[in-house]
Amino acid sequence: MENLQYENLAWAVLYGHIAIIAVGGFITVLSQSLVRALVGLIMTLFGVAGLFFLMAAPFIALMQLLIYVGAVSVLIFFAIMLTNAWPGGDESVARTGKKTVYALLAAMLPAIFLGSAAIKTAPPSDLVSKEIEVSVLGQFFMADFILPFELISLLLTVAMAGAVVLALERRRQK
Amino acid sequence: MSVMTIYHLVAIFLLCLGIFGIVYRRTLVGIVLGIELILNGAGLSIMASAQLTPAPNALGQAGALLVMGLAAAEATLLLAILLVVSKRFKNVEADKLITMRG
Repeated sequence: MENLQYENLAWAVLYGHIAIIAVGGFITVLSQSLVRALVGLIMTLFGVAGLFFLMAAPFIALMQLLIYVGAVSVLIFFAIMLTNAWPGGDESVARTGKKTVYALLAAMLPAIFLGSAAIKTAPPSDLVSKEIEVSVLGQFFMADFILPFELISLLLTVAMAGAVVLALERRRQK
Repeated sequence: MSVMTIYHLVAIFLLCLGIFGIVYRRTLVGIVLGIELILNGAGLSIMASAQLTPAPNALGQAGALLVMGLAAAEATLLLAILLVVSKRFKNVEADKLITMRG
């Protein structure tokens, strides 16, 4: 292929983003302050968006930034603020050793099984992927994928309505 | 090791970190952070499977977008549920929420 002159740069970008994801992920699960954990999650989201860019899907990467970094993390920050999950609160109490061991076991089992399966049964893959236009994606959504598309919009509507009902019901009882 | 395997290993890493976080964290907000990690790993895996193989690219991108929509809906509902729980129980520690009646 003729466009492989920047291959070393692409590998550097790949491993750099993997490093960002790893550091952000560890901050997310291990940080004592929940606000710092949320910042670690945002770091991970940026890393995954970079991997989407590297896979030649800039639209999905921008959607990742818009939806996750822009909307979901703000929602989680509201949850941290409104539920008294303050730094120095519940999360900063030391864990028992048993809990850490259980958590490590629960994380190790899928790592071993899924990791070995992914390495052993991997089909041959392309080194670079072709970028498709956003209009093609839109036509795919409107023609072949119309039912899941409508279902996800229905799901979003129901979720928003349910959230409003849940938040208002408590106020009426007081 | 092919490129797609590297992406899949990153996705599995995110899954395992999320499971670790769900078990390890005390508060419900920390558990939500773990769930977000898992969902992100799922989106990454779907995208890599479609973009780097002969499978149609639009399928993977549509799948990743659906995962993002699900994550947005889930975060909205979880915020409302967390609000109600913290109002009723005065804290959001997972081990202390042992009654189902408010």
